[in-house]
Amino acid sequence: MGAECCYEVSQIAYIKLVLHALKHRSAAVNGLLLGRLRQDGGATATVEIADTVPLSHSQIGLLPALELALIQIEEHFEAQGLSVVGYYHANERHDDVELGNAAKKIGDHIFRYFPRAAVLLLDNKKLERLQSSKGRDPVVQLYTRDSSKSWRQTGSDGSNQLTLKEPAANVVLLDYISSEKWQEIVDFDDHLDDISKDWLNPGLFN
Amino acid sequence: MVGASEAARMERLESQVENGGGGAWEYLCLVRKLKARRSNKVLKHGLSILNDHRARSKLGAEEWTLYEQVAFAAMDCQQHDVAKDCIAVLSKQFPGSIRIGRVEGMLLESKGAWAEAEKVYARLLDDSPLDQIIHKRKVAMAKAQGDLSAAVKFLNKYLEIFMADHDAWRELAEIYVSLQMYKQAAFCYEELILSQPTVPPYHLAYAEVLYTIGGLENLQTAKKYYASTVALTGGKNTRALYGVCSCSVAIRQLTKGRNKEEKEMSDLQTLAAEALQRDYKQRAPNKLPLLMSMLKNMKLNS
Repeated sequence: MGAECCYEVSQIAYIKLVLHALKHRSAAVNGLLLGRLRQDGGATATVEIADTVPLSHSQIGLLPALELALIQIEEHFEAQGLSVVGYYHANERHDDVELGNAAKKIGDHIFRYFPRAAVLLLDNKKLERLQSSKGRDPVVQLYTRDSSKSWRQTGSDGSNQLTLKEPAANVVLLDYISSEKWQEIVDFDDHLDDISKDWLNPGLFN
Repeated sequence: MVGASEAARMERLESQVENGGGGAWEYLCLVRKLKARRSNKVLKHGLSILNDHRARSKLGAEEWTLYEQVAFAAMDCQQHDVAKDCIAVLSKQFPGSIRIGRVEGMLLESKGAWAEAEKVYARLLDDSPLDQIIHKRKVAMAKAQGDLSAAVKFLNKYLEIFMADHDAWRELAEIYVSLQMYKQAAFCYEELILSQPTVPPYHLAYAEVLYTIGGLENLQTAKKYYASTVALTGGKNTRALYGVCSCSVAIRQLTKGRNKEEKEMSDLQTLAAEALQRDYKQRAPNKLPLLMSMLKNMKLNS
Protein backbone atom coordinates (compact mmCIF):
# COMPACT_ATOMS: atom_id res chain seq x y z
CA MET A 1 0.00 0.00 0.00
CA GLY A 2 1.93 2.93 -1.25
CA ALA A 3 -0.76 5.49 -0.48
CA GLU A 4 -0.74 7.55 2.68
CA CYS A 5 -3.05 6.27 5.34
CA CYS A 6 -4.05 7.72 8.65
CA TYR A 7 -5.62 5.90 11.53
CA GLU A 8 -8.00 7.72 13.80
CA VAL A 9 -9.15 6.06 17.01
CA SER A 10 -12.35 7.14 18.69
CA GLN A 11 -12.44 7.70 22.42
CA ILE A 12 -14.80 4.78 23.04
CA ALA A 13 -12.61 2.36 21.11
CA TYR A 14 -9.44 3.56 22.79
CA ILE A 15 -10.73 3.53 26.34
CA LYS A 16 -12.37 0.11 26.05
CA LEU A 17 -9.09 -1.31 24.85
CA VAL A 18 -7.07 0.05 27.77
CA LEU A 19 -9.71 -0.83 30.35
CA HIS A 20 -9.76 -4.39 29.03
CA ALA A 21 -6.02 -4.67 29.54
CA LEU A 22 -6.31 -3.18 33.03
CA LYS A 23 -8.97 -5.66 34.03
CA HIS A 24 -6.66 -8.57 33.29
CA ARG A 25 -3.28 -7.29 34.35
CA SER A 26 -1.53 -10.62 34.62
CA ALA A 27 -2.69 -11.91 31.25
CA ALA A 28 -2.42 -11.04 27.61
CA VAL A 29 -5.64 -9.62 26.20
CA ASN A 30 -6.85 -9.01 22.70
CA GLY A 31 -9.78 -7.66 20.77
CA LEU A 32 -11.08 -6.49 17.43
CA LEU A 33 -11.16 -3.00 15.99
CA LEU A 34 -14.32 -1.95 14.19
CA GLY A 35 -14.43 0.90 11.77
CA ARG A 36 -14.60 2.14 8.21
CA LEU A 37 -12.38 3.55 5.53
CA ARG A 38 -12.84 7.22 4.69
CA GLN A 39 -11.44 8.51 1.44
CA ASP A 40 -10.23 12.04 2.02
CA GLY A 41 -9.74 12.88 -1.61
CA GLY A 42 -6.52 12.51 -3.53
CA ALA A 43 -4.26 9.74 -2.38
CA THR A 44 -4.95 9.98 1.33
CA ALA A 45 -7.36 7.83 3.24
CA THR A 46 -8.25 7.53 6.88
CA VAL A 47 -9.24 4.40 8.71
CA GLU A 48 -11.71 5.47 11.37
CA ILE A 49 -11.55 3.06 14.27
CA ALA A 50 -14.97 3.68 15.74
CA ASP A 51 -15.30 0.90 18.29
CA THR A 52 -13.59 -2.13 19.76
CA VAL A 53 -14.88 -5.45 20.98
CA PRO A 54 -12.72 -7.05 23.67
CA LEU A 55 -12.22 -10.69 22.84
CA SER A 56 -10.12 -12.74 25.15
CA HIS A 57 -7.95 -12.83 28.24
CA SER A 58 -6.85 -16.46 28.16
CA GLN A 59 -5.56 -19.00 25.66
CA ILE A 60 -5.26 -16.42 22.93
CA GLY A 61 -3.66 -18.83 20.48
CA LEU A 62 -6.80 -20.95 20.13
CA LEU A 63 -9.14 -20.73 17.18
CA PRO A 64 -12.72 -21.65 18.19
CA ALA A 65 -13.65 -18.55 20.19
CA LEU A 66 -11.93 -16.26 17.69
CA GLU A 67 -13.94 -17.72 14.80
CA LEU A 68 -17.22 -17.41 16.65
CA ALA A 69 -16.43 -13.86 17.62
CA LEU A 70 -15.49 -12.81 14.09
CA ILE A 71 -18.74 -14.22 12.69
CA GLN A 72 -21.03 -12.64 15.28
CA ILE A 73 -19.18 -9.33 15.53
CA GLU A 74 -19.00 -8.83 11.77
CA GLU A 75 -22.70 -9.51 11.44
CA HIS A 76 -23.67 -7.20 14.26
CA PHE A 77 -21.64 -4.22 13.09
CA GLU A 78 -22.54 -4.60 9.43
CA ALA A 79 -25.84 -2.93 10.20
CA GLN A 80 -23.96 0.16 11.37
CA GLY A 81 -21.79 0.24 8.30
CA LEU A 82 -18.75 -0.87 10.26
CA SER A 83 -16.47 -3.80 9.64
CA VAL A 84 -13.43 -5.35 11.26
CA VAL A 85 -10.52 -3.06 10.42
CA GLY A 86 -7.93 -4.31 12.83
CA TYR A 87 -6.91 -6.04 16.01
CA TYR A 88 -5.50 -5.02 19.36
CA HIS A 89 -3.25 -6.88 21.72
CA ALA A 90 -1.72 -6.28 25.12
CA ASN A 91 1.20 -8.47 26.18
CA GLU A 92 1.28 -10.46 29.36
CA ARG A 93 4.54 -9.04 30.64
CA HIS A 94 5.14 -5.42 31.48
CA ASP A 95 8.41 -5.13 29.62
CA ASP A 96 7.39 -7.11 26.56
CA VAL A 97 7.28 -4.66 23.67
CA GLU A 98 7.24 -7.18 20.85
CA LEU A 99 4.29 -7.97 18.66
CA GLY A 100 4.00 -11.74 19.16
CA ASN A 101 3.31 -14.41 16.59
CA ALA A 102 -0.25 -15.07 17.67
CA ALA A 103 -1.04 -11.37 17.23
CA LYS A 104 0.63 -11.30 13.82
CA LYS A 105 -1.32 -14.35 12.66
CA ILE A 106 -4.61 -12.82 13.64
CA GLY A 107 -3.54 -9.58 12.02
CA ASP A 108 -2.71 -11.45 8.82
CA HIS A 109 -6.16 -12.99 8.79
CA ILE A 110 -7.83 -9.61 9.11
CA PHE A 111 -5.50 -8.14 6.51
CA ARG A 112 -6.89 -10.57 3.95
CA TYR A 113 -10.28 -8.94 4.25
CA PHE A 114 -9.13 -5.39 4.90
CA PRO A 115 -5.79 -4.50 3.36
CA ARG A 116 -5.25 -1.43 5.54
CA ALA A 117 -5.68 -3.44 8.70
CA ALA A 118 -4.18 -1.96 11.84
CA VAL A 119 -2.74 -3.80 14.77
CA LEU A 120 -2.56 -1.84 18.00
CA LEU A 121 -0.22 -3.01 20.72
CA LEU A 122 -0.62 -1.57 24.19
CA ASP A 123 2.47 0.28 25.34
CA ASN A 124 2.69 -0.65 29.01
CA LYS A 125 5.36 1.87 29.86
CA LYS A 126 3.43 4.74 28.29
CA LEU A 127 0.33 3.67 30.16
CA GLU A 128 2.25 3.57 33.41
CA ARG A 129 3.63 7.06 32.83
CA LEU A 130 0.30 8.48 31.83
CA GLN A 131 -0.67 9.43 35.35
CA SER A 132 2.36 11.65 35.79
CA SER A 133 3.02 12.77 32.25
CA LYS A 134 -0.58 13.73 31.42
CA GLY A 135 0.39 13.31 27.79
CA ARG A 136 -2.00 13.46 24.89
CA ASP A 137 -0.43 10.69 22.83
CA PRO A 138 -2.22 7.37 22.62
CA VAL A 139 -0.71 4.66 24.82
CA VAL A 140 -0.71 2.18 21.98
CA GLN A 141 1.71 1.41 19.18
CA LEU A 142 0.38 1.10 15.65
CA TYR A 143 1.58 -1.68 13.38
CA THR A 144 0.72 -1.98 9.71
CA ARG A 145 1.66 -4.48 7.03
CA ASP A 146 4.39 -3.25 4.74
CA SER A 147 5.16 -4.40 1.23
CA SER A 148 7.31 -7.26 2.50
CA LYS A 149 4.25 -8.72 4.24
CA SER A 150 5.58 -8.14 7.73
CA TRP A 151 4.05 -6.10 10.49
CA ARG A 152 6.01 -2.94 11.06
CA GLN A 153 5.68 -0.43 13.83
CA THR A 154 4.81 2.97 12.41
CA GLY A 155 7.29 5.58 13.41
CA SER A 156 7.63 9.27 13.15
CA ASP A 157 8.43 9.16 9.46
CA GLY A 158 5.10 10.75 8.72
CA SER A 159 3.28 7.91 7.02
CA ASN A 160 0.55 5.84 8.67
CA GLN A 161 -0.07 8.15 11.57
CA LEU A 162 -2.18 7.19 14.52
CA THR A 163 -4.28 9.92 16.12
CA LEU A 164 -6.89 10.11 18.79
CA LYS A 165 -10.10 11.54 17.42
CA GLU A 166 -10.95 13.31 20.67
CA PRO A 167 -7.82 15.07 21.93
CA ALA A 168 -8.84 14.82 25.58
CA ALA A 169 -9.22 11.03 25.42
CA ASN A 170 -6.38 10.47 27.90
CA VAL A 171 -8.00 12.76 30.43
CA VAL A 172 -11.20 10.77 30.23
CA LEU A 173 -9.19 7.55 30.38
CA LEU A 174 -7.39 8.60 33.55
CA ASP A 175 -10.72 9.45 35.10
CA TYR A 176 -12.10 6.00 34.34
CA ILE A 177 -8.93 4.38 35.65
CA SER A 178 -9.21 6.16 38.98
CA SER A 179 -12.83 5.11 39.31
CA GLU A 180 -11.81 1.49 38.54
CA LYS A 181 -14.15 1.36 35.56
CA TRP A 182 -12.21 -1.59 34.15
CA GLN A 183 -14.08 -3.92 36.49
CA GLU A 184 -17.17 -3.57 34.31
CA ILE A 185 -15.60 -4.49 30.99
CA VAL A 186 -16.98 -7.65 29.40
CA ASP A 187 -15.12 -9.54 26.69
CA PHE A 188 -16.20 -12.36 24.40
CA ASP A 189 -14.53 -14.86 26.75
CA ASP A 190 -16.73 -13.61 29.59
CA HIS A 191 -19.77 -14.00 27.35
CA LEU A 192 -18.90 -17.60 26.56
CA ASP A 193 -18.53 -18.30 30.28
CA ASP A 194 -21.86 -16.61 31.01
CA ILE A 195 -23.98 -15.64 28.01
CA SER A 196 -25.92 -13.09 29.99
CA LYS A 197 -22.79 -10.90 29.84
CA ASP A 198 -22.81 -8.66 26.79
CA TRP A 199 -19.60 -8.20 24.79
CA LEU A 200 -21.01 -5.00 23.35
CA ASN A 201 -20.59 -3.38 26.77
CA PRO A 202 -23.70 -1.24 26.42
CA GLY A 203 -24.02 1.29 29.17
CA LEU A 204 -20.34 1.09 30.06
CA PHE A 205 -19.88 4.81 29.58
CA ASN A 206 -23.21 5.99 30.89
CA MET B 1 -8.88 -23.40 37.46
CA VAL B 2 -12.12 -22.09 38.81
CA GLY B 3 -15.53 -23.57 38.11
CA ALA B 4 -18.36 -21.28 37.05
CA SER B 5 -20.39 -21.48 40.24
CA GLU B 6 -17.35 -20.95 42.45
CA ALA B 7 -16.25 -17.99 40.36
CA ALA B 8 -19.72 -16.50 40.74
CA ARG B 9 -19.61 -16.99 44.51
CA MET B 10 -16.24 -15.33 44.70
CA GLU B 11 -17.45 -12.35 42.68
CA ARG B 12 -20.50 -11.99 44.92
CA LEU B 13 -18.38 -12.07 48.06
CA GLU B 14 -15.97 -9.60 46.51
CA SER B 15 -18.62 -7.02 45.80
CA GLN B 16 -20.16 -7.63 49.19
CA VAL B 17 -16.87 -6.91 50.92
CA GLU B 18 -16.14 -3.96 48.65
CA ASN B 19 -19.44 -2.37 49.53
CA GLY B 20 -18.89 -2.66 53.25
CA GLY B 21 -21.06 -5.72 53.76
CA GLY B 22 -18.44 -7.69 55.67
CA GLY B 23 -17.28 -11.22 54.92
CA ALA B 24 -13.67 -10.26 54.28
CA TRP B 25 -12.21 -13.37 55.92
CA GLU B 26 -14.58 -15.67 54.03
CA TYR B 27 -13.61 -13.93 50.79
CA LEU B 28 -9.89 -14.24 51.51
CA CYS B 29 -10.27 -17.95 52.31
CA LEU B 30 -12.16 -18.54 49.07
CA VAL B 31 -9.54 -16.71 47.02
CA ARG B 32 -6.87 -18.88 48.65
CA LYS B 33 -8.81 -22.07 48.03
CA LEU B 34 -9.48 -21.26 44.39
CA LYS B 35 -5.95 -19.93 43.91
CA ALA B 36 -7.48 -16.91 42.21
CA ARG B 37 -5.33 -13.90 41.48
CA ARG B 38 -7.10 -10.94 43.07
CA SER B 39 -4.12 -9.20 44.51
CA ASN B 40 -5.52 -5.66 44.70
CA LYS B 41 -8.51 -6.77 46.73
CA VAL B 42 -6.61 -9.28 48.84
CA LEU B 43 -4.07 -6.63 49.77
CA LYS B 44 -6.72 -4.10 50.68
CA HIS B 45 -8.95 -6.35 52.75
CA GLY B 46 -6.19 -8.54 54.14
CA LEU B 47 -4.33 -5.52 55.44
CA SER B 48 -7.45 -4.11 57.03
CA ILE B 49 -7.80 -7.30 59.06
CA LEU B 50 -4.10 -7.48 59.94
CA ASN B 51 -4.01 -3.87 61.04
CA ASP B 52 -6.99 -4.37 63.29
CA HIS B 53 -5.70 -5.88 66.51
CA ARG B 54 -9.02 -7.42 67.49
CA ALA B 55 -9.81 -8.88 64.07
CA ARG B 56 -6.32 -10.32 63.91
CA SER B 57 -6.50 -12.09 67.25
CA LYS B 58 -9.85 -13.60 66.27
CA LEU B 59 -8.05 -15.51 63.53
CA GLY B 60 -5.94 -17.58 65.92
CA ALA B 61 -3.42 -19.71 64.09
CA GLU B 62 -4.84 -18.66 60.72
CA GLU B 63 -3.25 -15.26 61.31
CA TRP B 64 0.03 -16.53 59.82
CA THR B 65 -1.69 -17.87 56.73
CA LEU B 66 -3.14 -14.44 56.20
CA TYR B 67 0.26 -12.79 56.58
CA GLU B 68 1.57 -15.08 53.88
CA GLN B 69 -1.40 -14.42 51.61
CA VAL B 70 -1.07 -10.67 52.04
CA ALA B 71 2.68 -10.89 51.40
CA PHE B 72 2.02 -12.55 48.02
CA ALA B 73 -0.66 -10.00 47.16
CA ALA B 74 1.64 -7.16 48.10
CA MET B 75 4.37 -8.51 45.85
CA ASP B 76 1.93 -8.78 42.98
CA CYS B 77 0.99 -5.14 43.50
CA GLN B 78 4.63 -4.13 43.76
CA GLN B 79 4.18 -3.03 47.37
CA HIS B 80 7.50 -4.45 48.47
CA ASP B 81 7.56 -2.75 51.85
CA VAL B 82 4.29 -4.32 52.88
CA ALA B 83 5.56 -7.71 51.76
CA LYS B 84 8.78 -7.22 53.67
CA ASP B 85 6.86 -6.34 56.84
CA CYS B 86 4.71 -9.44 56.55
CA ILE B 87 7.76 -11.60 56.01
CA ALA B 88 9.43 -10.06 59.06
CA VAL B 89 6.47 -11.00 61.23
CA LEU B 90 6.44 -14.52 59.83
CA SER B 91 10.22 -15.02 60.24
CA LYS B 92 9.94 -14.01 63.86
CA GLN B 93 7.19 -16.54 64.41
CA PHE B 94 8.75 -19.34 62.37
CA PRO B 95 12.53 -18.89 62.39
CA GLY B 96 14.41 -21.01 59.84
CA SER B 97 11.25 -22.14 58.12
CA ILE B 98 11.58 -23.29 54.51
CA ARG B 99 8.11 -22.06 53.72
CA ILE B 100 9.05 -18.55 54.84
CA GLY B 101 12.30 -18.91 52.91
CA ARG B 102 10.21 -19.48 49.80
CA VAL B 103 8.30 -16.29 50.41
CA GLU B 104 11.57 -14.43 50.77
CA GLY B 105 12.71 -15.88 47.46
CA MET B 106 9.53 -14.70 45.83
CA LEU B 107 10.03 -11.20 47.15
CA LEU B 108 13.38 -11.14 45.41
CA GLU B 109 11.67 -12.37 42.27
CA SER B 110 9.07 -9.64 42.41
CA LYS B 111 11.87 -7.09 42.62
CA GLY B 112 13.45 -8.62 39.53
CA ALA B 113 16.50 -9.85 41.49
CA TRP B 114 16.58 -13.15 39.65
CA ALA B 115 20.12 -14.26 40.50
CA GLU B 116 19.62 -13.63 44.21
CA ALA B 117 16.31 -15.44 44.18
CA GLU B 118 17.97 -18.43 42.51
CA LYS B 119 20.58 -18.51 45.26
CA VAL B 120 17.91 -18.50 47.95
CA TYR B 121 16.08 -21.35 46.25
CA ALA B 122 19.27 -23.37 45.73
CA ARG B 123 19.99 -23.08 49.44
CA LEU B 124 16.45 -24.16 50.33
CA LEU B 125 16.62 -27.10 47.94
CA ASP B 126 19.73 -28.33 49.77
CA ASP B 127 17.59 -28.84 52.85
CA SER B 128 14.47 -29.91 51.02
CA PRO B 129 15.33 -31.33 47.60
CA LEU B 130 11.83 -32.54 46.77
CA ASP B 131 10.05 -29.29 47.46
CA GLN B 132 7.79 -28.99 44.41
CA ILE B 133 6.98 -25.35 44.90
CA ILE B 134 10.63 -24.34 44.87
CA HIS B 135 11.29 -26.41 41.78
CA LYS B 136 8.48 -24.63 40.02
CA ARG B 137 9.87 -21.21 40.86
CA LYS B 138 12.56 -21.86 38.30
CA VAL B 139 9.87 -22.18 35.66
CA ALA B 140 8.11 -19.08 36.93
CA MET B 141 11.29 -17.04 36.79
CA ALA B 142 12.03 -18.12 33.24
CA LYS B 143 8.49 -17.21 32.23
CA ALA B 144 8.69 -13.85 34.00
CA GLN B 145 11.86 -13.00 32.13
CA GLY B 146 10.19 -13.87 28.84
CA ASP B 147 12.29 -16.97 28.19
CA LEU B 148 9.46 -19.31 27.29
CA SER B 149 11.65 -22.00 25.76
CA ALA B 150 13.60 -22.23 29.03
CA ALA B 151 10.33 -22.35 30.94
CA VAL B 152 9.21 -25.23 28.74
CA LYS B 153 12.50 -27.03 29.24
CA PHE B 154 12.41 -26.68 33.03
CA LEU B 155 8.77 -27.63 33.21
CA ASN B 156 9.34 -30.77 31.17
CA LYS B 157 12.21 -31.73 33.46
CA TYR B 158 10.02 -31.09 36.48
CA LEU B 159 7.24 -33.26 35.09
CA GLU B 160 9.64 -36.16 34.54
CA ILE B 161 9.91 -36.35 38.32
CA PHE B 162 6.57 -34.99 39.47
CA MET B 163 4.35 -36.37 36.74
CA ALA B 164 1.20 -36.28 38.86
CA ASP B 165 1.23 -32.50 39.16
CA HIS B 166 -1.86 -31.52 37.19
CA ASP B 167 -1.33 -27.82 37.57
CA ALA B 168 2.07 -28.20 35.99
CA TRP B 169 0.70 -30.11 33.01
CA ARG B 170 -1.90 -27.40 32.54
CA GLU B 171 0.68 -24.66 32.76
CA LEU B 172 2.82 -26.44 30.21
CA ALA B 173 -0.15 -26.84 27.88
CA GLU B 174 -0.94 -23.14 28.15
CA ILE B 175 2.65 -22.14 27.47
CA TYR B 176 2.67 -24.41 24.40
CA VAL B 177 -0.53 -22.77 23.16
CA SER B 178 0.99 -19.34 23.58
CA LEU B 179 3.93 -20.56 21.48
CA GLN B 180 1.50 -22.05 18.93
CA MET B 181 2.99 -25.50 19.60
CA TYR B 182 -0.44 -27.08 19.46
CA LYS B 183 0.57 -30.72 19.07
CA GLN B 184 2.62 -30.51 22.24
CA ALA B 185 -0.26 -28.80 24.04
CA ALA B 186 -2.55 -31.61 22.90
CA PHE B 187 -0.18 -34.14 24.44
CA CYS B 188 -0.39 -32.37 27.80
CA TYR B 189 -4.18 -32.40 27.73
CA GLU B 190 -4.10 -36.09 26.82
CA GLU B 191 -2.04 -36.74 29.96
CA LEU B 192 -4.53 -34.76 32.02
CA ILE B 193 -7.54 -36.56 30.58
CA LEU B 194 -5.87 -39.93 31.21
CA SER B 195 -5.27 -39.15 34.86
CA GLN B 196 -8.49 -37.23 35.51
CA PRO B 197 -11.03 -38.40 32.93
CA THR B 198 -14.08 -36.73 34.44
CA VAL B 199 -12.77 -33.17 34.63
CA PRO B 200 -14.64 -31.24 31.91
CA PRO B 201 -12.16 -28.36 31.34
CA TYR B 202 -9.53 -30.83 30.13
CA HIS B 203 -11.89 -32.32 27.55
CA LEU B 204 -12.84 -28.84 26.43
CA ALA B 205 -9.29 -27.57 26.20
CA TYR B 206 -8.23 -30.67 24.28
CA ALA B 207 -11.07 -30.20 21.81
CA GLU B 208 -10.16 -26.53 21.32
CA VAL B 209 -6.52 -27.37 20.64
CA LEU B 210 -7.43 -30.12 18.16
CA TYR B 211 -9.83 -27.78 16.38
CA THR B 212 -7.05 -25.22 16.12
CA ILE B 213 -4.66 -27.75 14.58
CA GLY B 214 -7.34 -28.74 12.08
CA GLY B 215 -7.51 -31.60 9.61
CA LEU B 216 -10.32 -34.11 9.32
CA GLU B 217 -9.15 -36.58 11.94
CA ASN B 218 -8.47 -33.88 14.53
CA LEU B 219 -11.83 -32.26 13.87
CA GLN B 220 -13.61 -35.56 14.33
CA THR B 221 -11.77 -36.17 17.59
CA ALA B 222 -12.42 -32.59 18.68
CA LYS B 223 -16.11 -33.11 18.10
CA LYS B 224 -16.02 -36.21 20.30
CA TYR B 225 -14.37 -34.27 23.11
CA TYR B 226 -16.73 -31.33 22.76
CA ALA B 227 -19.49 -33.94 23.05
CA SER B 228 -17.96 -35.49 26.15
CA THR B 229 -17.70 -31.99 27.65
CA VAL B 230 -21.40 -31.50 26.94
CA ALA B 231 -22.12 -34.80 28.64
CA LEU B 232 -19.92 -34.06 31.65
CA THR B 233 -21.42 -30.60 32.15
CA GLY B 234 -25.04 -31.57 31.64
CA GLY B 235 -25.23 -29.53 28.46
CA LYS B 236 -24.51 -26.30 30.29
CA ASN B 237 -21.19 -25.44 28.72
CA THR B 238 -21.69 -22.89 25.98
CA ARG B 239 -18.26 -23.35 24.43
CA ALA B 240 -18.79 -27.09 24.09
CA LEU B 241 -22.19 -26.61 22.44
CA TYR B 242 -20.74 -24.10 20.00
CA GLY B 243 -17.79 -26.43 19.47
CA VAL B 244 -20.01 -29.31 18.39
CA CYS B 245 -21.60 -27.03 15.80
CA SER B 246 -18.33 -25.57 14.54
CA CYS B 247 -16.79 -29.02 14.17
CA SER B 248 -19.79 -30.27 12.23
CA VAL B 249 -19.49 -27.42 9.76
CA ALA B 250 -15.75 -27.83 9.36
CA ILE B 251 -16.04 -31.60 8.91
CA ARG B 252 -18.80 -31.21 6.37
CA GLN B 253 -16.69 -28.76 4.41
CA LEU B 254 -13.79 -31.17 4.35
CA THR B 255 -15.78 -34.26 3.44
CA LYS B 256 -18.38 -32.50 1.29
CA GLY B 257 -21.03 -34.71 2.80
CA ARG B 258 -19.38 -37.85 1.51
CA ASN B 259 -18.87 -39.30 4.95
CA LYS B 260 -21.68 -41.63 5.94
CA GLU B 261 -20.80 -41.26 9.61
CA GLU B 262 -21.88 -37.65 9.49
CA LYS B 263 -25.47 -38.48 8.75
CA GLU B 264 -25.59 -40.58 11.89
CA MET B 265 -23.95 -37.90 13.99
CA SER B 266 -26.24 -35.18 12.69
CA ASP B 267 -28.55 -35.53 15.70
CA LEU B 268 -25.76 -34.31 17.92
CA GLN B 269 -25.30 -30.95 16.21
CA THR B 270 -29.04 -30.38 15.94
CA LEU B 271 -29.40 -30.98 19.66
CA ALA B 272 -26.47 -28.69 20.41
CA ALA B 273 -27.95 -25.96 18.20
CA GLU B 274 -31.30 -26.31 19.93
CA ALA B 275 -29.71 -26.17 23.36
CA LEU B 276 -27.88 -22.96 22.40
CA GLN B 277 -31.06 -21.38 21.09
CA ARG B 278 -32.97 -22.26 24.24
CA ASP B 279 -30.24 -20.88 26.44
CA TYR B 280 -29.86 -17.62 24.50
CA LYS B 281 -33.61 -17.12 24.39
CA GLN B 282 -33.70 -17.30 28.15
CA ARG B 283 -30.48 -15.58 29.19
CA ALA B 284 -29.27 -13.48 26.26
CA PRO B 285 -32.31 -12.66 24.15
CA ASN B 286 -30.72 -9.61 22.54
CA LYS B 287 -28.05 -11.86 21.07
CA LEU B 288 -30.48 -14.48 19.84
CA PRO B 289 -30.81 -13.05 16.32
CA LEU B 290 -27.02 -13.21 15.86
CA LEU B 291 -26.98 -16.80 17.04
CA MET B 292 -29.89 -17.80 14.79
CA SER B 293 -28.25 -16.19 11.81
CA MET B 294 -24.97 -17.97 12.51
CA LEU B 295 -26.68 -21.33 12.94
CA LYS B 296 -28.64 -20.75 9.74
CA ASN B 297 -25.43 -20.15 7.85
CA MET B 298 -24.07 -23.31 9.37
CA LYS B 299 -27.25 -25.05 8.16
CA LEU B 300 -27.96 -26.18 11.68
CA ASN B 301 -31.11 -24.20 12.21
CA SER B 302 -34.16 -26.43 12.36
